[in-house]
Amino acid sequence: MFSFGVTNKLKRIVGSDAVLDRPEDLMLYEYDGSLARGAPKYVVFPQTTLQISEIVKLAKHQELAIVPRGAGTGLSGGSIARQGGIILAFARMNRILEIDVANLRATVQPGVVNLDLSNALAPHGFYFAPDPSSQKACTIGGNVAENSGGPHTLAYGVTVNHVTGLELVLPDGRIVQLGGAAASSAGYDLTGFFVGSEGTLGIATAITVKLTRLPESVATLLAIYDDVQAAGRTVVAITTAGITPAALEMLDGWTLRAVEASVHAGYPLDSAAVLLIELEGLREAVDEHAQLVSELCRNSGAREVRRARDENERQLLWKGRKTAFGAIGRISPSYYVQDGVIPRTRIPETLGKIDEISKKYSLTIGNIFHAGDGNLHPLILFDARDADQTQRTLDAGREILEYCISIGGSITGEHGVGMEKQDLMGTLFSDSELEVMRRLRNCFNPDSLLNPQKMLPSTRTCKEAVAPGHASLDAPVSSAGVELR
Amino acid sequence: MQAGIDSRLERLLGAGGVLAESALLERYAIDGVSPKLVVKPENAEQICAVLRVCNEEQWTVVPFGAGTQQHAGRPPEQVDVVLSTEKLNCIQAYDSGDLTISLQSGAPVVEVVDACAEHRQLLPIDVASERRTIGGALSTSQSGPLRAGFGSLRDFCIGISFVTGDGVSGRGGGRVVKNVAGYDLMKLLIGSYGSLGVITSANFKLFPAPQQTTTLMCDSDSLVEALAQRDSLIKSPLSPIACEMINPAAIEYLHHSEPRNPDNWAPERSNTSDKISWKLAIRFAGSDRVLARIRIELASSSEVCGAEEAGFWKQIAAFEERLAARHRNVMIFHVEVPISQSHAALEAADDAATNFNFVAAIVGRPTIGSFVIGFLPLAIDPPAATQYAGAASDFRSRLSKAASAIVVHCPREAKQHFDVWGSTPTDLDLMRRVKHALDPGGILNRGRFLVG
Repeated sequence: MFSFGVTNKLKRIVGSDAVLDRPEDLMLYEYDGSLARGAPKYVVFPQTTLQISEIVKLAKHQELAIVPRGAGTGLSGGSIARQGGIILAFARMNRILEIDVANLRATVQPGVVNLDLSNALAPHGFYFAPDPSSQKACTIGGNVAENSGGPHTLAYGVTVNHVTGLELVLPDGRIVQLGGAAASSAGYDLTGFFVGSEGTLGIATAITVKLTRLPESVATLLAIYDDVQAAGRTVVAITTAGITPAALEMLDGWTLRAVEASVHAGYPLDSAAVLLIELEGLREAVDEHAQLVSELCRNSGAREVRRARDENERQLLWKGRKTAFGAIGRISPSYYVQDGVIPRTRIPETLGKIDEISKKYSLTIGNIFHAGDGNLHPLILFDARDADQTQRTLDAGREILEYCISIGGSITGEHGVGMEKQDLMGTLFSDSELEVMRRLRNCFNPDSLLNPQKMLPSTRTCKEAVAPGHASLDAPVSSAGVELR
Repeated sequence: MQAGIDSRLERLLGAGGVLAESALLERYAIDGVSPKLVVKPENAEQICAVLRVCNEEQWTVVPFGAGTQQHAGRPPEQVDVVLSTEKLNCIQAYDSGDLTISLQSGAPVVEVVDACAEHRQLLPIDVASERRTIGGALSTSQSGPLRAGFGSLRDFCIGISFVTGDGVSGRGGGRVVKNVAGYDLMKLLIGSYGSLGVITSANFKLFPAPQQTTTLMCDSDSLVEALAQRDSLIKSPLSPIACEMINPAAIEYLHHSEPRNPDNWAPERSNTSDKISWKLAIRFAGSDRVLARIRIELASSSEVCGAEEAGFWKQIAAFEERLAARHRNVMIFHVEVPISQSHAALEAADDAATNFNFVAAIVGRPTIGSFVIGFLPLAIDPPAATQYAGAASDFRSRLSKAASAIVVHCPREAKQHFDVWGSTPTDLDLMRRVKHALDPGGILNRGRFLVG
């Protein structure tokens, strides 16, 4: 097979300015927000669903893998071209197709940026509720693939709770519709099933989402602690008191100092932890809840509770939270972020466990996470140029996730399994449970043409080979060919 | 052949786990078709074993909770085994601190809801009948008034365990409130009407129970006016925990509680019906201050609270059961439309019903576009089977492609003349593939679902 032949064929489908195949151009598409890398052979920028259908047929014929990619902000390697092949980049499918206020729906192309959709809806009094920290860059298509969350999913749910319809291209090139503008419809809920399938079932080419009304009133509180355990206990206290904040975030002392050095959000530098708590709704309810939550914080040992006085102060507090990963990037050559979930009442002891693991492996681990739903994001700092440190980082990460599983939790709350946590799927699910999932993948994507070697662990009998030069975190890291950022 | 079934399953379940007396079997008849056997496994392992045998032998299986919804679906040609989840009726774990609960599928909804209420927590599944089970509610994607405030089962079911048609254990999700590891099998199983697997247990996220509630009743002279009230509610900052619309013909089913002889009763086609109003019942939760504000915003309404309020919402949740109890020959639709098409859909229902000598009784959630519509036969004599087909087809022909109108209840003779499932915007070929993947032998509810 001559590669330039494929290039020409791709160009015939999408136009000559919409295909990349030179190594220097492809390099930009080797990575996402995770540690993994993998080089595609082609990057294609389709503009229509029909073009995607044609590309898929060509890929099938040429036996090339296809990996859909939004903004590449994913944290689990979901958009890495693990077997080379074609990266389907959605940068040019970024139109909002319809804002249908009468039905509380919007239909978008997959490349629409999350925050751009909310900004477009704001004049109508609505927004798109899932708000990943990367919302300024990440795309709705990526959100659908990963079933993304964000701080405000505590009250409003993750992406799947906000998608009612999809147009898909299947691996045989067929274009199909699932669901639509109605809240549900007759037959299997394939729309709900598709969300979070990490690009392994089909390619979403149009997405119908629910609109959420902007709240009348918002209160943002910052509770400051001298003891990280006290902050953990507050989360339990708020949950048991029957209050569901719109968001309930936690930053430990180390992390907040790193953030403060970068964005000056107003977090007190001498504290051991802060909780960022947001309450939304009717004015009357927000005022009452703000007061109640402040009391709960103080009773659980907060040294001070501040309330943002205006929108500027509120935005600044959030800026600190949402740009935290970037802030860490300023002070550490590499970091590894985990996404484990635990029952909310187990936060205090889990923080203790993470501290223990940090000491055991001699690594700095910062904690910044969605405390309200028990979704942890331990940030392990390391230098990827140091093989020993890298190995310790991966081991520590694994130990944290194994602990999450052991107390009834999960290995991922919103980042997805991707190629990063595949080998842990076997710890979380039994062989037969994985077999059921595999059957379902095969009925959509029988030849593993779409996003191969992702999410489900390879079976022993049919171990898919990892092409040399492509990173694999489920292979020993010291082996040749693995490259970490 | 039957002796073979008996003995193989008895070996797996013990003598108490298999029923074969014909008098008992009749009680489990599906659309008049009695099963050859009823099995009552005690756990998921036994269900795996039973299904492996049935799959091998190509015996068809009907998963069965309390049987309150078995009138849904196409009539089966043959039912070999009814698989009852009666013995899987435990609360497996209740973590009130975490607001999560883990339930076996045969647990009655009402018992679980009561157990949560003791901890001032809410599992927002409406108690549509005293007997309905968790597995039944999931399989039929039960929807009631609470859906407007808390979302549907798909929004708060966080984990599910089931057994595929060929006896393999499957599981999706887990016991934590946020989890994206693996495929979302909850979404697939919910609303699959027992065609993909036998649900053995499920986990749910709970909500704090509202401290106090009140219900405001808004009367309108017409559908248009009632929907205009809905629109202003949607635009307002108010967030009700339920919002139900009731048409004049349905009001009667929310009052009388003593059942009358269903064969000798028909609603009167009142010529004063124009004067009876459409009602919008909007339920709110909150503190005194919050409720005071709401009363000001919805000043023109009347208020129902306390025991009367609780009673009213019980009646709404039981509307469907009430219709069926009163009219053996009723045809009941579950209708889902984009919300702006509510007006067209409800008018279409009314017209189609009138054209075929039915009266349409409507209760539903206008802020979601989800309605229960009963077509009540006008005449005392049962209507001809084709009349049902005619009315369903007339109604559906006036709906957009985005809409669904499933007939969940109608006389079985009528089912021969039309498809109870109607159309769906979702690709049927993909549905068939999914069905085949999880039930390769096609033994689960064979012939009853939209596909398979």
